[in-house]
Amino acid sequence: MKDKLIWLNKHFRREWQIYVMLLPVIIWFIVFLYKPMYGLQIAFKDYSIFRGIAGSPWAGFEHFYTLLDSDQFLRAVKNTFVISGLSLIFGFPVPIILALMFNEILHQGFKKTAQTIVYLPHFISTVIIAGIVITAFSPSSGVVNLLLSKLGIEPIYFLTKPEWFRPIFIGSGIWQEAGFSSIVFLAAIAGVSPTLYESAVVDGASRWQMIWKITLPAIMPTIIIMLIIRIGNLLEVGFELVILLYQPATYETSDIINTFIYRQGLQGGQYDLAAAAGLFNAVVAFVLVITANMIAKRYSKTSLW
Amino acid sequence: MSNVLLQGISKSFGELEVVHSIDLEIASQEFIVLVGPSGCGKSTTLRMVAGLEEISDGMLQIGDRVVNDIAPKDRDVAMVFQNYALYPHLSVADNIAFGLNIRRVKKPEIKRQVADVAQTLELTDLLNRKPSELSGGQRQRVAMGRAIVRHPKVFLFDEPLSNLDAKLRIQMRAEIKLLHKRLGVTSVYVTHDQVEAMTLADRIVVMHDGRIEQIGTPMELFRNPANLFVASFIGSPPMNKLSGSVTVKNAVPSLDIGHGASIKLRSDSVSSDDHGRSIVVGIRPEHMNIEPGNGPGWSEIPFDLTLVEPLGSEALIHAMVGDTPIIMKVETRNEVSHLNDATRFYVQAEDVRAFDAETGKALDFTVAG
Ligand SMILES: Nc1ncnc2c1ncn2[C@@H]1O[C@H](COP(=O)(O)OP(=O)(O)OP(=O)(O)O)[C@@H](O)[C@H]1O
Ligand SMILES: [Mg+2]
Repeated sequence: MKDKLIWLNKHFRREWQIYVMLLPVIIWFIVFLYKPMYGLQIAFKDYSIFRGIAGSPWAGFEHFYTLLDSDQFLRAVKNTFVISGLSLIFGFPVPIILALMFNEILHQGFKKTAQTIVYLPHFISTVIIAGIVITAFSPSSGVVNLLLSKLGIEPIYFLTKPEWFRPIFIGSGIWQEAGFSSIVFLAAIAGVSPTLYESAVVDGASRWQMIWKITLPAIMPTIIIMLIIRIGNLLEVGFELVILLYQPATYETSDIINTFIYRQGLQGGQYDLAAAAGLFNAVVAFVLVITANMIAKRYSKTSLW
Repeated sequence: MSNVLLQGISKSFGELEVVHSIDLEIASQEFIVLVGPSGCGKSTTLRMVAGLEEISDGMLQIGDRVVNDIAPKDRDVAMVFQNYALYPHLSVADNIAFGLNIRRVKKPEIKRQVADVAQTLELTDLLNRKPSELSGGQRQRVAMGRAIVRHPKVFLFDEPLSNLDAKLRIQMRAEIKLLHKRLGVTSVYVTHDQVEAMTLADRIVVMHDGRIEQIGTPMELFRNPANLFVASFIGSPPMNKLSGSVTVKNAVPSLDIGHGASIKLRSDSVSSDDHGRSIVVGIRPEHMNIEPGNGPGWSEIPFDLTLVEPLGSEALIHAMVGDTPIIMKVETRNEVSHLNDATRFYVQAEDVRAFDAETGKALDFTVAG
């Protein structure tokens, strides 16, 4: 014990610069993540703004029971999982495919142009993205319905139909982020030694075989890390875009936990219930990250920690 | 029968030509080493043979086919790279089998061949390891295994030993030579290490600035370098160079190097017309003796000794002849103290090579064979 203290003392004296550099991150965590945790307790209280956090009486798990009894909340949980599960299935491979495709473009000018075009939507604000989507799918003047009418199909009121919300939401999410997310994979591909390909060429591998047998295995650790992070964020559906695109007519498929919290807490003033929903969300997300990491560790030797 | 034929092969990157019209005929089963200083175009030439670089001009023939426009995979060559190019995610066995898998060889056949090659290269116990779990020498062997298992017409090596430490390099060098003896596959081997070139090659190709300076067996290059570049590139320490002017007395030519010293020359290197011409002579460190030799062909040249470096059975003597530094290599006979008293060296006209001072071309050079 004493040895350890002496060692620590020495260690800090020698390496203090490193800890100074670490400080901003620690402060950021304390101010923006740990301090707000104090407010989490209102999930277990009968909270009133007038009595304050400390002054409000405890309510135990009351709010959680309320939530689990609420059809609306359960629907939001289900929608969250369905939407994020579908975006994972359809959205996750897209940046990888894009990166592989960019890597096959030999003409440098064409490659740069193509990359810029697919990166671009990432830099557009979500509000404008929503505007573009709403305009494009408008029944009277939208491009989509215009095209459909050319094919002799009656205009569809896409944004008011629950069955259309998910495809539109997931599609626009992919359009906005796939290009930019491909950068990580492109960087991983750039790290593959060119002689591996040359050796494969001499051995007679085709471009397809090189993608399957060299590039993909080489970027597999990156893919797995990105997948763990994605699964950890499974419940973080881009809720701004949902808020901007959904309407009561589509709640059935579009209302997610975060929009539920937003409506209950900020619009309905039920802060304690909203906090309980938020905490529920966080706990589930926590379990998901840990599980994903464990699975990845067991099957691929690649993991976040 | 020639196995690989390069005729007027050139390579340009954009406007810049880096390999200038190379002619080289490689016989079947021959071990050819391309050697030269960094950037002279060895790798580029090898990569053109492999098909990894397009040939800008000239004709390349492998076997009896012109392969200029034939894809690397159809050229029937296998290449070993400097950094081994092993696939990090595949086991040793799968690395060796890679080329066969690509060619859709049947599984049992692959297994048999991999086991065969592993046996040859003593890799049998390592077949299940990943490349990251191997030592440098083992990785090197896996890379060779991957080439061998394909049974190609030609092996191409690009500095395969340069990532190994000195001791391992000597060991692997011997293994490569043995392997070539056993398999008898035509090999083209690139290195910038002249010792490697000397020990491995049937014939050495010395390259410089994208051109071939000389082609010959190791001993031909050593005894009879075509020019000053080859003379100083082959042999270690390099050939000593001394310049002066030719005098021919009684039909016996010699080189006046100033300070009253002169070196007798071979009579076939210069003629009486050359009297007064300034030339450079090259003398191998090994051909300089500090014990007097007797006979008409011997010359005696005084020097100022600067340093003696004992190497064991041999020693290097650094000295100055006039303003020119020279290095001699002499036998020690387990004793070096007497070397410090040396004041002159003796050399036979037979061992003195004469070169044109301007062009660097050997005056007595005759193409062997
Ligand atoms: N892709 C390329 N683009 C432009 N120039 C190149 C390219 N590859 C090689 N060169 C040039 O061609 C010349 C020969 O290069 P090469 O790699 O064949 O040399 P080398 O003899 O193998 O040298 P080293 O011993 O250093 O490997 C060099 O001057 C090099 O700068
Ligand atoms: Mg090279």
